[in-house]
Amino acid sequence: MNGLHILSELLLMPLIAFVVGLMMVLMMRKISARIQRRIGPPFFQPIYDIVKLYGKDTQISHGLIHDIGIIMAVGGYIGAEILLPVPGMEGIADKGGIITLSYFLMIPSLGMALGVGQCANPNGSIGISRALTSMLAYDVPFIIVVFGAAWHYQSTSLVGMIEYQQMNSWGIVEMPFLATAGLFALQGMLGKQPFEIYIAPAEIATGPMVEMSGKYMGGLFVMQTFQLYTAGVLYASLFLGGGESWLSLLPKAFLVVAIPMSIAFMFPRYKTEDVIRILWKWPVMLALIGLAFIL
Amino acid sequence: MKKELLIKEKQAKRTNPLAHVFDDFIDFCQSKSLFMLHYCTGCGAIELPPAMTSRFDMERLGIQPMVTPRQADILLVTGYVSVKTLKRVILTYEQMQAPKYVIGICSCTVNGGMYWQSYATAKKLNDYMPVDVYIAGCMPRPEAVLEGLQRLKENIKNDRKQQKGSAWKEYFANYDTYLGNQQHLFGDDWQTPVDIIAEAKLYGLEGEGTYGKNTEKLAKVQQPLLPQEMKL
Amino acid sequence: MNLLDQFFILIAVALLSITVLRNFRINDKMAPLWYGLMVVMLVRMAAVAYDGATLTSAFNIEILGFNMHWQFNALSWFFAIITVVAALASAIFMSGDWGRQYRELYEGQGGNYGLLQLALILNVASMLLLLASGDLLSLFIGWEFVSWASFLMMVLMPSKTAKKAAVKYVVYAMFGAMALLAALAIIYSNSVSFSGSLEFEQITQVFAGMDKGPQFSLALLFFIAFAIKMGLLPFHLWQAVAYAETPGPGAAFLGAISSRMGLFAMIIVIIQFIGLGHLQGMSIGLPFINMQTLLAWIAALTTIIPTYIALQQHDAKRLLAWHGVGQGGYMLLGLIMFDSIGSAGGLMHVLNHASYQAALFLTVVAVVYRTGTSDLNKLGGLVTQMPLSFLVMLIGIIGLAGLPPMNGFVSKWMVYRSLLLNGEPLLFVAAVLGTLGTILSVYKLIHNTFLGQLRVEHQNIREVPWSMMVPMLGLSAIVFITGFMPGLILPWIASVQETIGLPVIIHHLGGIEYAKGGLDMIWVSGILFYGFGVGALIFYFLGSKAKRVHQYDNYAGGHFLSADVKYHYSNNFYPGLMHLIGDWYRGSFKWMEQVIVSALSFVSKLFENMYRSRQPVMLLVIVVVVALFSIYKNTAGVSS
Repeated sequence: MNGLHILSELLLMPLIAFVVGLMMVLMMRKISARIQRRIGPPFFQPIYDIVKLYGKDTQISHGLIHDIGIIMAVGGYIGAEILLPVPGMEGIADKGGIITLSYFLMIPSLGMALGVGQCANPNGSIGISRALTSMLAYDVPFIIVVFGAAWHYQSTSLVGMIEYQQMNSWGIVEMPFLATAGLFALQGMLGKQPFEIYIAPAEIATGPMVEMSGKYMGGLFVMQTFQLYTAGVLYASLFLGGGESWLSLLPKAFLVVAIPMSIAFMFPRYKTEDVIRILWKWPVMLALIGLAFIL
Repeated sequence: MKKELLIKEKQAKRTNPLAHVFDDFIDFCQSKSLFMLHYCTGCGAIELPPAMTSRFDMERLGIQPMVTPRQADILLVTGYVSVKTLKRVILTYEQMQAPKYVIGICSCTVNGGMYWQSYATAKKLNDYMPVDVYIAGCMPRPEAVLEGLQRLKENIKNDRKQQKGSAWKEYFANYDTYLGNQQHLFGDDWQTPVDIIAEAKLYGLEGEGTYGKNTEKLAKVQQPLLPQEMKL
Repeated sequence: MNLLDQFFILIAVALLSITVLRNFRINDKMAPLWYGLMVVMLVRMAAVAYDGATLTSAFNIEILGFNMHWQFNALSWFFAIITVVAALASAIFMSGDWGRQYRELYEGQGGNYGLLQLALILNVASMLLLLASGDLLSLFIGWEFVSWASFLMMVLMPSKTAKKAAVKYVVYAMFGAMALLAALAIIYSNSVSFSGSLEFEQITQVFAGMDKGPQFSLALLFFIAFAIKMGLLPFHLWQAVAYAETPGPGAAFLGAISSRMGLFAMIIVIIQFIGLGHLQGMSIGLPFINMQTLLAWIAALTTIIPTYIALQQHDAKRLLAWHGVGQGGYMLLGLIMFDSIGSAGGLMHVLNHASYQAALFLTVVAVVYRTGTSDLNKLGGLVTQMPLSFLVMLIGIIGLAGLPPMNGFVSKWMVYRSLLLNGEPLLFVAAVLGTLGTILSVYKLIHNTFLGQLRVEHQNIREVPWSMMVPMLGLSAIVFITGFMPGLILPWIASVQETIGLPVIIHHLGGIEYAKGGLDMIWVSGILFYGFGVGALIFYFLGSKAKRVHQYDNYAGGHFLSADVKYHYSNNFYPGLMHLIGDWYRGSFKWMEQVIVSALSFVSKLFENMYRSRQPVMLLVIVVVVALFSIYKNTAGVSS
């Protein structure tokens, strides 16, 4: 691994994540439109949105922490993308591992929480309080799934896990229960209906996003692309054998993201306590059964 | 006359030939992606759900609803505006971030409509804020709403060439007039937490009409809300 | 005279100087100097930490045939450096303006600044004496000193709760000391080769020669003694209130390291000398539950329960103190795994916890210094007024929550990794649950203090003076640097592991080496900061500049915000969660404590009444009867 390779990974991995993430956002919006029997946005709509937001003439900031919050939100995900191994680019990713990555993914949320905090808007604070509560809810099944996967592959390195799956069989075949529980947790992690209480536009005015204008909102849109990409690729690496090449990885990642989206737009949302209740009951149960099989 | 000046000024600022391409691209994206905030003051709001959902599907035009003024590009005022409501509409408008557009839906926003004789209703919305597009009718059908939105998109796309989509600059450039109308309605101690003059100064949006006797009046009563600076 | 003797002399001189000069202003300047000198002495002794050598003091006492002696090995050194650095930070913090304010507010009402300085040096001295103990008797003596020194510090806040908490602590501590004494007695009476000594090695010998039952009770006595000091379940009730009510920097010191003395003793007795074999041999009821699993679960529950109690607190100091109790669980959880990564994580967490806990406590004290309150419902928006304190607290909470790139992440990562390697899914989930609860409550802490709406009455406060800022910044620098380069302290950990006979960790500057997934914090932090850098580039170079607005220029559904509208969202911060788990807070442990207290007071009343009864003749009769009976019994035994 020479310097040039490292440099290319540092630059290319977030860039690819961004482009793929844009397409995932488009897919999400198309799915929602189709389910609601609409046509949906044009192909370049995610780009238009982001360019427009960054091209705003005026915007407001509530202070330095507001700015830093957005930097942390975007920057944390850029870092996380580099720790996520993809075909041909797994040199740096090997330095991390699944535990590091799952904690890395909390950094953007923390950054956003700080930024929203300084906005001094109660809607935002309520949103963060709910977001952290639902993080507590979905992380319990997620962490059991991570444990199961790491135990099954006898490795905490994602690269090692992918190698194992490509030599043997996919994780989803060997650990169907854990894979299902993981998908369940993914729904909460992406904050999609029925677990989107912390956005709740009509109730708390999109919660954390309430005071975000211009490039602040643009940063959150960029963050969303990364979030979808991370979810798709991480799940594909854990259970669907990663990818020998981009051609085999991307369909898997898109498929993974499409499942929660298709479920999402058919549901209203649960109350916060019900989010915890449901996520601590069914996926945890599934995950524990799955764990009992592999231990 | 004024518009030409503005155009010239803008062109003088940008010497790079590619800058126009860039500006055009931004304008294009702005016209393709519009987040709207509907301030549902009257009955006109009932026409928006069909415009958004499967019958007419606004999203295919790149228009989607947003929730707070910070995120929004378009302020839809969908009906009569009482004096009390107008204060909130103005605050909401001032909290939106430029470029921002106002669409007045229904006749009530044009001239007070059936509330013409009401003592408590503001008659012409564009006395208090620059309105980009009026969609008259009582009420306009969703087709008319979409038609109006399309018109707005055209204006935004040709912003640099024709300065049609820049009505929001009027608010900064002629703030004194708008403020005068507002003061006429709400009394001389009227102020919002948003400091428009400071904003105009910061972004270089001041015009000849930014200052005047009304802003002087404001300066007397205003308790300026300066941002809290970090201090060591 | 070796380095250890010189170190002891230095401590004695410092103790003497502070005792004599404590009421003079010069002491303010000199006290930090003494701790600085102690750090220097410890650095000179660094060979102990890197080579795993043992320094034995020439000073020893012969009492009743027991030889009490003192020594320093890697373990003692590791705890000692944390103690002394924490004391240094606290001493600098209280030497300047904080001390002045304390004098103004409390002097004459029960607070005494000179006594506070004395309490600090007494704590440090007694803790160092404990850390240097070379046998069980000197351990016991050090133990008692530490208990009473902490008590002295706790009563220096003139409030009823503080006094009550301190008394409660002393009762607990005395119970623990009794348990330790009983354990010592058992060891002494059961020692196989009756040499009349209470060396640590006796523990192993005595254990080897015992049946399962006595083994269990002996282990239990030791455990009770040490768990009380550490605040492990079910003895967690005394600690948080007592520490929270201690005067500012004292709380930081106690919260950082004091209760870890329990862990230190536990490492020596349970990890080093009882050992894994015996722990696993002691099965309780079911064959698969042995002493090791029991301890691991106690540790895991200690991470969860106090953390979620912390989530309910609305006083910043109590919130932190409860987290201090909770984080103790991680240390034991890592150590009890008996493998290289887990025990390294547990040991490292002692240092990490001390650094961020002290920083966080000092920040809260700084906020109290300026605003006069640590009630989380009465603060808010202070970031613009006290930005550096905010930075320190931010670094501290990232450390406490165990997120990269701070040091808390490294130690917690090791604990998780070890649980993964040992195949302990439920313990793993328990540990993560603790972390998640921590994230929730530390966000509440920073949000309610520094973010959100700034109150009108706080609009003119300023950052705290440098005498307070410097220790805070120094501690947060430690939090960051040891997180970025854990390899700086991993050699110490490795020699501690060697000393106490655990497998030694393979480390490098960035973290640890392990075949199937190691950790390299230099890379991880590097990537994180690269990400932040790119994020900053995107943020600052794209888009127009942003206009700074006042917080009343805020979206409130068209409402006009003004100073008289209090809209800071702080009280009951997690209502959704509390709807669900609120009923689970039953206060069972409190209830149990009260039951024991009332039972004891009932018994004591009974005896008291008997003693004060109207007929003293009855007492005489009872005494005579008992005496006669015992004489009769003994003589009967002799004659037969």
